[in-house]
Amino acid sequence: MKYIIETSALGKQYGDQYSVKNVNLKVRPGCVYGFLGPNGAGKSTTMKMLLGLVKPSQGEIRMFGKEMRESNRIEMLRFTGSLIEFPSYYGHLSGRENLEIVQTLKNVPREEIDEVLSIVRLEGQQKKKVREYSLGMKQRLGLAAALLGRPKLLLLDEPTNGLDPAGIQEMRELISDLPGHYGMTVMVSSHLLSEIDQMATDVGIIDKGKLIYQGSLKKLHDKAKGNIRIQVLNPETAVRILEEQKGSYDLEEKELVFEEREEAEVAALVTLLVRGGAKIIRVTEQQKSLEDIFLKLIGKQVSL
Amino acid sequence: MYREWKTEWMKVRYRGIGLILLAFLAVVVLWCTWAQHSFSKEQLSDGYRMMFLQIPLMDTILMPTMIAMLASRLCDAEVKGNTLKLLCTMERKGRLFDMKLLMGAGYLAVFVAAEIGLIFFQSALHGFARPMEGIQLLYFILQVYTVSFGILLLQVVLSFFYENQIFPLAAGIFGSFAGLFSWFFPDGILKKCVLWGYYSELCFIINNWDRQTREVSYDNAPFDLAAFCLLLVLLAAGYVLGKRLFLRKEI
Repeated sequence: MKYIIETSALGKQYGDQYSVKNVNLKVRPGCVYGFLGPNGAGKSTTMKMLLGLVKPSQGEIRMFGKEMRESNRIEMLRFTGSLIEFPSYYGHLSGRENLEIVQTLKNVPREEIDEVLSIVRLEGQQKKKVREYSLGMKQRLGLAAALLGRPKLLLLDEPTNGLDPAGIQEMRELISDLPGHYGMTVMVSSHLLSEIDQMATDVGIIDKGKLIYQGSLKKLHDKAKGNIRIQVLNPETAVRILEEQKGSYDLEEKELVFEEREEAEVAALVTLLVRGGAKIIRVTEQQKSLEDIFLKLIGKQVSL
Repeated sequence: MYREWKTEWMKVRYRGIGLILLAFLAVVVLWCTWAQHSFSKEQLSDGYRMMFLQIPLMDTILMPTMIAMLASRLCDAEVKGNTLKLLCTMERKGRLFDMKLLMGAGYLAVFVAAEIGLIFFQSALHGFARPMEGIQLLYFILQVYTVSFGILLLQVVLSFFYENQIFPLAAGIFGSFAGLFSWFFPDGILKKCVLWGYYSELCFIINNWDRQTREVSYDNAPFDLAAFCLLLVLLAAGYVLGKRLFLRKEI
C-alpha cells in the first residue's frame, strides 16, 4: 500500500459553491501529514468527507488501499481515530466513563483506557466530570478517545484550537511522537504554518477548496531557500554579460536575482559583472520564509 | 447492536430519567387517589372502566411534557457535547437514531407498566366489584403506548435538531394543550390530524353524567380500529421521515 489515504477528484458542493474541489490527497503511511490552509479553505470539510461524516458530491476516497463506501465505512474506520474541530464529550460523565463508551463501541480491551489516559497525561483527572475540565483537558480527552484501539491512522482537525501556549506545545509534542512510538500515520490540519512546520513531515496546502501544494515539508523548505540580489545601475549591460555566460537569473526592475549559492561563487559572479562593465551598487542575501512561500502559493496576503 | 445498546445505557447515567418518570407517576398516583376518594362505593365498583378513562385523560396532559423531557435527556447530550461526529465514525448514524428510540420506548414501557400496576393496586385497595375485561387491558396498552411512542418519535427528532432544548420542550407543552383540547373536539378529520389527540380518539370507555343524581356511570365504546391503523401508518411514515432527516443532517 503506497498511500494510506488517497483521494481522486474529491469534491463537495453546497448549492452553486464548491467548498472542496478536485482534491487529490496522497498520504504516505507513517508520516505526519500537515493539512494547511486559511480559515474556510475546506480543511474540515475534506477531513469530514474522509470520515464519512459529510457525503462527497464527487470523487473517490481510498483508505488502507480500499475504496471507501457507506457499506464498509464503519469497518474501515475501526483502524482510524479522529478528533474533528472541537472535542466530543459527555459533560455529565467522568473522563474515564467517556472513554468507556468509546472503548465499548470500538470493542477494544478495557486496559487500553489506562494506556491512553497515560499517553495524554490525564490519569489524575479521570474521575472528574468532563464539564469541569479545561478546554485543554477536553482536547486531550478527545485525543485519548481517538487513540483507543491503537488506530493505524489518526485524523486531527485543528487539535490545538483554543489551547494555551503550554497546551499547544504539549499537543504538538504528543502528535509528533505518535508515528515513532506507535507506528501511526497522522493527518493534522491547521491554519498555522509554524505549527505544521513543527509537527509535519509531509504537507498539503489547500485554499478555496483546491489543493495547491502537496509534497514533503523538506521540499517546501527547499523552495524557501534564500536568494542573492545584485542591484546594478546599468541592468542592460549586466544582462548582456549573463546571457553571454548562459547564467540563470531573474531580473526584477534593476535587481538581478540569483539562487542561493556559495560565497566563492558569489564573489566570482560579482567579479565577472564588474569586469564586464556592470555598475554594482548593492549585493544582498535575501532569506525567503516558509510563510512567503505559503502566501505566494495561495496568491494573497491573508490573516493566518 | 448489543454494544450500541450498552453504550446508550452508559450515556444516560446520572441523567435522572428514572426520577422524571417517578415524578410524573407520582402525579398520576395522587390524581387517581384524589379522584377515587371523591367517588361513592357504587361508582368505585366500576373502577376498572373509570381508570381506563381517567389514566388516558391524565396521560394526554402529562405524557407530552414527560416525553419531551425524556427525549431531551436522551438526545441533548449528543448535541451539547458534539458527540455525533465521534459516534458516527464508530456506529451507523441510523443505528444511533434507532437506539435512542428504543431507549425511549423502553422507558415508556416501564411507565405504562407502572400505570397498569397502579390500576391493579387501586383495584386491590378499593375492591372494584365489576371484573376487568381482558381485551380492555390490551386496548389500554395499544392506546396509551402507541400514541406515546408517536410523540416520542417526534420529540427525538426535535431534540436532535435543536441545540436549544427549549424548542422541543415547548413542543411537548403545546402537545399537552393540543391533546387536552382534542377531548372536546367533535369526531372527525380534525381529531385525526392531531397526534396528541389520539389519546382521546382511541378511548374505548365513555362516561355518562346523570344530571339528577350527579353521578357518573361508565360504558364500553368500540375501539376505533381504523383510527389505530391510521396512527400506525402515521408512525411508520414519521419513522421513515424522521430517520431520513437525521441521516441527511450533516455533522
